Amino acid sequence: MKIPIEFVVNGEPQALFVKPNHTLLDVLRDDLGLLGAKKGCGEGKCGTCTVIMDGKPVNSCLILAPRADGSDIITVEGLADGEPHPMQKAFVEQGAVQCGFCTPGMIMTACALLDEKSDPSEEEIRLALSGNLCRCTGYAKIVEAVQVCAQRIQQDKGA
Amino acid sequence: MRIKPFEYHAASDLREAVQMLSEEGADARALAGGTDLVLAMKHKAVLPKKVVSLHRITEMAAINTEGDEIKIGALATHSELAAHLELQKVVPILCQAVSLIGSWQIRNSATIGGNLAHASPAADSAAPLLALDATLVTTSPSGDENIPLASFFSGPGATILHPGQIIKEIIILRPQGRSSGRYLKLMRKRAVDLSQAGVAFQAELDPAGEKLAKVAIGLGGMAPTPIRAPEAEGMLEGLSCAEALKKIPSVARAVVAATSPIDDIRASAAYRKLVAEAFFKQAAQEVLTSLTAG
Ligand SMILES: Cc1cc2nc3c(=O)[nH]c(=O)nc-3n(C[C@H](O)[C@H](O)[C@H](O)COP(=O)(O)OP(=O)(O)OC[C@H]3O[C@@H](n4cnc5c(N)ncnc54)[C@H](O)[C@@H]3O)c2cc1C
Ligand code: FES
Ligand code: FES
Repeated sequence: MKIPIEFVVNGEPQALFVKPNHTLLDVLRDDLGLLGAKKGCGEGKCGTCTVIMDGKPVNSCLILAPRADGSDIITVEGLADGEPHPMQKAFVEQGAVQCGFCTPGMIMTACALLDEKSDPSEEEIRLALSGNLCRCTGYAKIVEAVQVCAQRIQQDKGA
Repeated sequence: MRIKPFEYHAASDLREAVQMLSEEGADARALAGGTDLVLAMKHKAVLPKKVVSLHRITEMAAINTEGDEIKIGALATHSELAAHLELQKVVPILCQAVSLIGSWQIRNSATIGGNLAHASPAADSAAPLLALDATLVTTSPSGDENIPLASFFSGPGATILHPGQIIKEIIILRPQGRSSGRYLKLMRKRAVDLSQAGVAFQAELDPAGEKLAKVAIGLGGMAPTPIRAPEAEGMLEGLSCAEALKKIPSVARAVVAATSPIDDIRASAAYRKLVAEAFFKQAAQEVLTSLTAG
């Protein structure tokens, strides 16, 4: 039996019928065609499915679809505003993207971190991103990208 | 990793939740953050016919630190607990322990009630809550019932809850004297793995601030359920911190004697014992030193 849900995805209200045995990740990818969030492990271990739910990063692979009813979701597709988001730019410029599979999840967690703390230390960045695995970059450039983005946002605020 | 079809309900209040759960008996499951349950359903380890989500029962997420009874709603997430300023002051050991659970994403969904109800022998909230003498307030169609956490677990993954009975909140008595606590856990990889062993050490001074009025040692991953080490605790109670510090090595042996760990894919029993001994020494040293410093 499908269940009606209403929620907001990247600022747009959505009304859908979902199967309870699907996850939020399935709904985003299969019903809404938002292919940014990835299914790496499906077990909460890799972070590639990370989206922001009601302001907090969560693993969408472990959230049952009907549980998204009434929530506010942001995926990587919701970041760019005409041009790429500063975090997306920083990832590209710092070489923090190789195969790109982990990138949408990394970027969502990183954005959520800067929303909570505008000037995190390297340790805080590494801790916040510890649920996002990357098989390519070795993490150093990802941490640099977050630092660069944080500095730029600070500068823009100061200017 | 398809999940088998099931019926889903989001309960609008506690009464509806326990009613729905008890109607279906053992075939129904409560859903909190889903970080254990959804995974178990994916692995087909649990195949519920009905899932009742608790997330709309907002009062179940409340944290109240005002009275002598500190009340923590079962739906409070590990992130909320770790960041709670008043809890950090009164029961820092709990905030510290739950801040080590999983990843940030997991802690944003996962709840303390789910952590206890899932009943992993190594659940990271269990050892510190045991050391704080926590009591669970449960509710079912036949009413509320208080269960001391010490008699809640009945085996690996098993509790004394019956179908239709859920944890509503967790009560901790505010420490009366000056107190301090520390939780140390061993894990292979931060953020993605359950702990292999966890040691909680909580100590409270008498009103004069001279002797140890209460010492509590909680152990996770060291027996079929999370346990206390009462004999070891008794060796320290009534002593001054200076006396207690000198006894740490012999008490550590009593801590190990209280355990009965297993060999599994995460660690061998012998290794777990070594780690528990070392962690106990470190945690006790830190706590007793901080209490001495005043
Ligand atoms: C990647 C990953 C890493 C993890 N790391 C850790 C870790 O480091 N330490 C650790 O301890 N755990 C860890 N866990 C396990 C899990 O996240 C925790 O046990 C979590 O607290 C479970 O809470 P939940 O709200 O998600 O429970 P759910 O999955 O919603 O429920 C778990 C069980 O409890 C029952 N239940 C839930 N709420 C109640 C209630 N109020 N009353 C009665 N029954 C209830 C459910 O029916 C179900 O059987 C990890 C899990 C994952 C996926
Ligand atoms: S796909 Fe969700 S954490 Fe890996
Ligand atoms: S860039 Fe390939 S996994 Fe991170």
